[in-house]
Amino acid sequence: MSAHHDESPLQHAEVQQASGLGYSLGFILSTAFMLAALLLTQARALAPLPLLLSISAIALLALLSQSLLFFRMDFSAAHVWKTVSLILTVPLFILSIGLTVWMFHYLDGLMVMGPEMPGMGMQPTLLQ
Amino acid sequence: MDGPASLQGQRPLWHSGETLHDPVATKTLGFFLYMISDALIFAGLFAAYAVLDQSMNTAGGPTPAQILHPAAAFWQTLAVFGSVYAYSMATVALKYRNRGAMMLGMAVAFALGLVFIGLEIRDFLDLIAQGAAWTRSGFLAAFWILIAAHGAHMAVGLLWMAVMMMQVMVLGITGDVVTRLLNLRLFWQFQAAVWVCVYVFVYLRGVIV
Repeated sequence: MSAHHDESPLQHAEVQQASGLGYSLGFILSTAFMLAALLLTQARALAPLPLLLSISAIALLALLSQSLLFFRMDFSAAHVWKTVSLILTVPLFILSIGLTVWMFHYLDGLMVMGPEMPGMGMQPTLLQ
Repeated sequence: MDGPASLQGQRPLWHSGETLHDPVATKTLGFFLYMISDALIFAGLFAAYAVLDQSMNTAGGPTPAQILHPAAAFWQTLAVFGSVYAYSMATVALKYRNRGAMMLGMAVAFALGLVFIGLEIRDFLDLIAQGAAWTRSGFLAAFWILIAAHGAHMAVGLLWMAVMMMQVMVLGITGDVVTRLLNLRLFWQFQAAVWVCVYVFVYLRGVIV
């Protein structure tokens, strides 16, 4: 971060980063990626799992294009701290969502109780 | 290490005197860190939704495939992306000190944001009419909270945008106003990123699984 006390606020790097071309590309790419994901889903061209993986990859591309073209994430002096903080937060997203889903996936498996397990259905839960 | 003599002429590691800070960069970085913590709230909501959108959590009520309409929701996608694009272009006008173009961009962004909110409210009313309110099942509770959390962010952003339009008209383009406009750009662009996740992992995934 450099000092800009004596300059017009419009000369600040974060004002000057605004780019009509970049924003237009960001809008076009984001919309195109979402349209591609929609068409892929509606066409049912793939089996469920490959389809889920494909649209997830498309979402990742859309987020990446927005990070670069909307947020202008890069390692310049004006943006390096935002970029680093975002990169360091990505594992937190993955851990918080991934571990929660993983936990409950196995919990669901353990909670399948059939008639061959007499009495199990009467076990109180922690909330009872 | 060659000793203190080799440090002469280099910038000190720290010093106790007054330092000049860049107020715009400091405030936007602070706001960016706040936005990241806000994103972690969405991570929690997405995690809850990923757990509760299983068939066993519908409690005999509607399933995701029965209430989600990705093609219709694409209009919301266009509205939110269009609004973010219009506001971003308004900041391009700010860069060139073109106040008229900036106000026009903000007005378009505001109108498209209202369209988004209107479409979302219509969807919510339809769901209530179908008996698919948030109290119906665990899945619907997670769905409503996630979608409404994003909608609430959009509504707050619109309020903020209205305030900023007034500040630009009354106060002009001052340093503080510019900082707030930059923070609003961060906030508004963040809504587009969240919507990518909502659209793909709620609307599209909902009709696949």
